[in-house]
Amino acid sequence: MSSAATTPASSISTDLISRFRAIVGDEGVLSEAEELAVYECDGYVVEKQVPDVVLLPENRDQVVAIVKLCNEYKVPFVPRGAGTSLAGGCLPVGGGVMITMTRMRRILEVNIRDRYAVVEPGLVNVHLTRHLAGSGYHYAPDPSSQGACTIGGNVATNSGGPHTLKYGVTVNHLLGLEVVMPDGSVVELGGPCDDNPGYDLTGLFVGSEGTFGICTKATLRLTRDPAAYRTLLGIFETVADATQAITRIISAGIVPAALELMDQGIVEAVEAAFQFGFPLDAGAVLLIEVDGLEVAVDGEAEQIVELCEQSQAREVRRANSGAERQLLWKCRKQAFGAIGRLSPSYCTQDGVVPRTKLPEILEFITESGARHGIRIVNVFHAGDGNIHPILLFDERDQEQVARVLKSSDEILTKCLELGGSVTGEHGIGVEKINFMDKLFEPNDLAVMADVRMAFNPDGRCSPGKMLPTAGACGMEHIERSHPGRKAAL
Amino acid sequence: MTESLDEFTPTTQAELARFVTNNAAGEKRSLLSAGGRTSLNFGYQASGEGGVTINMLELTQVVDYPARDMTVTVEAGIRMNDLAELLTGEGQQLPIDVAQSQRATLGGVLATNTSGPRRFGYGTLRDYVIGISAVDASGRLFKAGGRVVKNVAGYDLCKMLVGSMGTLAIVTQVTLKLKPIPESSAFIWAQFNDFDDIDVVLERLTLSDTRPVSLEVFDRRAAGQLATESRRELPSDGPILLVGFDGGQDEVAWQVETLRHELSPFGSAKVDSVDGEAAGELRQVMTEFAICADAPLTFRANILPSQTIEFLEDAERAGVTLQAHAGNGIVVGHLPDDVSSIDRAKEIIDPLRQLARSYCGNLIILDCPADWKSDIAVFGDPEPSWGLMSRLKETLDPDGLLNPGRFFDGAKPVTVQESTS
Repeated sequence: MSSAATTPASSISTDLISRFRAIVGDEGVLSEAEELAVYECDGYVVEKQVPDVVLLPENRDQVVAIVKLCNEYKVPFVPRGAGTSLAGGCLPVGGGVMITMTRMRRILEVNIRDRYAVVEPGLVNVHLTRHLAGSGYHYAPDPSSQGACTIGGNVATNSGGPHTLKYGVTVNHLLGLEVVMPDGSVVELGGPCDDNPGYDLTGLFVGSEGTFGICTKATLRLTRDPAAYRTLLGIFETVADATQAITRIISAGIVPAALELMDQGIVEAVEAAFQFGFPLDAGAVLLIEVDGLEVAVDGEAEQIVELCEQSQAREVRRANSGAERQLLWKCRKQAFGAIGRLSPSYCTQDGVVPRTKLPEILEFITESGARHGIRIVNVFHAGDGNIHPILLFDERDQEQVARVLKSSDEILTKCLELGGSVTGEHGIGVEKINFMDKLFEPNDLAVMADVRMAFNPDGRCSPGKMLPTAGACGMEHIERSHPGRKAAL
Repeated sequence: MTESLDEFTPTTQAELARFVTNNAAGEKRSLLSAGGRTSLNFGYQASGEGGVTINMLELTQVVDYPARDMTVTVEAGIRMNDLAELLTGEGQQLPIDVAQSQRATLGGVLATNTSGPRRFGYGTLRDYVIGISAVDASGRLFKAGGRVVKNVAGYDLCKMLVGSMGTLAIVTQVTLKLKPIPESSAFIWAQFNDFDDIDVVLERLTLSDTRPVSLEVFDRRAAGQLATESRRELPSDGPILLVGFDGGQDEVAWQVETLRHELSPFGSAKVDSVDGEAAGELRQVMTEFAICADAPLTFRANILPSQTIEFLEDAERAGVTLQAHAGNGIVVGHLPDDVSSIDRAKEIIDPLRQLARSYCGNLIILDCPADWKSDIAVFGDPEPSWGLMSRLKETLDPDGLLNPGRFFDGAKPVTVQESTS
């Protein structure tokens, strides 16, 4: 895991650091080893790389100056939000400059009449939610990490969340961006008005994982609050029964606001952490939420209860109060935090399968875990077919790490076989870069590489991400220092 | 496959890829893709001297329709009506309003990013395209996205190609996310004395207890046309507000009642409602409004919703017939029949364009005589982001073979003119 064996692609001189200090001040520069250690990885802990320096700009002009300086000195740079990426999206491949956006966190404008808000990228997702509370509108994407993750990070990875089933992901709620391009120029894409003439570069930028430039401002679409919710908890003897219920609900033409599955393993951990009163002997629970008009939600909820019962649900409970609903969602969204009770480390996969293939992939996950002696628990966005198997391990044990990687690769390969994808919302990052050529043909990757050339011709911005051909120097070192990864392929 | 000197009609994606590859390696003729030819007047005339029309009408295969997953993969030449018929069989739909849907193809709708009244509630095509295949100018058949509803692997080239006017690649196959057909639909039709009254109502509707899927405003002239074409007795002595609802029967009925109640304090409105099959017919009439063969020029302004009414007032005074997707700040206007010269057209368009610009919006021309285009800036004035767009175009189509000059690249190079003067 150590990066000591590799020499960073760039060596940052003291001269450069002092020029950075002139831009962002002493308090905006982190260059001591112990300060930098915090930034050696994000939520994906399997690979680590310390940046040479971390900068914390406070405004766009500082970002521009930093980027121009990086170009002058030919050093790579990578933007970072809160570092909640689960795919190594913030890993500074090859070292270089990390530009941390968390000091740019203002809400610049909220316009309810025209349904948009303009924010800085370092704004924490839930801070916007809180700011909008009571206005009758909200920002729909609500990743489970919304208490920490930033809007800029959401833009970079096209984040989803439990409510994307009905409301869509980040790109469906983004109207415009201000971007500092990899050469330091500033460009405005889109804006608060719909349908700007020209290519939809806003849409193209979303999910580009920092490889097209650094977002310094985002214009977000606000969504009218639902008038009413009904939150249900379906309790099933087996995972298969629960997935059957999911297929039945979706095929009936009901689009719940959220449809989340937790299996027995995760329920155990969540119950220990939050004491909601989950049954510990159930094979799986489904957290189902419908929202809409008061006149409609009861009917939908009734229909869902019926469909669950047809799928052999042991019981379907209702959240009887707002507080109970909040607690249910807390259990779901903080499920990952509760995993600490089960294991010192974990690695979450993010595969997607067509919804009707859920029973197949879940069975495969169980088998794969058994085959490699890895405990796997599941909590995921079932309505979207977006699985999140959580592989539990101890990162100090190299041999275990290797088995985790093997099992992960197997699961993702199976997702592809079933007509799915290797990432629904966490991104490719560095973790899944070796899957890109399984998912895509050489032509697909070549066109994607061309598109990146138009934005990032020198490859200096976020090298080693997304495409297997990216900034090759970086990838070599990753593969060398992680033989387990290579072996797993 | 049929091939003549000026037209090529592929029957498979691979055939098209081969043809384009050979063209790129050989004659490098311009490639002008066409589907149902309903929007060929949109954009500049592609500089297609010696070019080949790529006729997409035989790429109509339904590749995969796993209805229970609520996705469908089809080839791009499929007509919108045929697609709708296929989906209706499963109680599903692609909720994008398209005029002339018996002719228009999915590929054409995608290239022009067509939308209509329901975009307020359902979004636009970019929200439904989850996978795409296309052939680039060098003949590479490539894909992006996939067939699952949630997927962030690779760059989102679906977004890049939606609305790209066939200038970056020729889209051959599309995977769509689908929605269930609602049990019931209805419109509230409310006529007002003037636009100002509607402005107050729109402001109020921001916090309505109802959840409309369309919020449309028509001026008096358009309201009359709409009433006539829908063959219904609907009040049209002033501008109208049309509010559309979709959902379960109870849900729609409740919303119609609630909105009537919410509108009642606003006095002078004459309110009617349309539901059942008639609601669908009315929506189609509203959708077709964007097309007007008789108008000398049709434009679309994109502004903020809160500025829509002010814009409508100015445009109405200039004699323009108007429809606004008021919830989205989109105004479609037809110039009066008697505008017979470009100078006269510019007298109307220029101030409206300026007004839209002053709101940080824009105004583009959807349709006008071909010989007016070079002087009327079809896509408005150059934007700073056009530089990046040109770079993208040059990277993917270095020889400028795909619909050259059709999109913003057909605009007069303003900066060059300035530097030489």
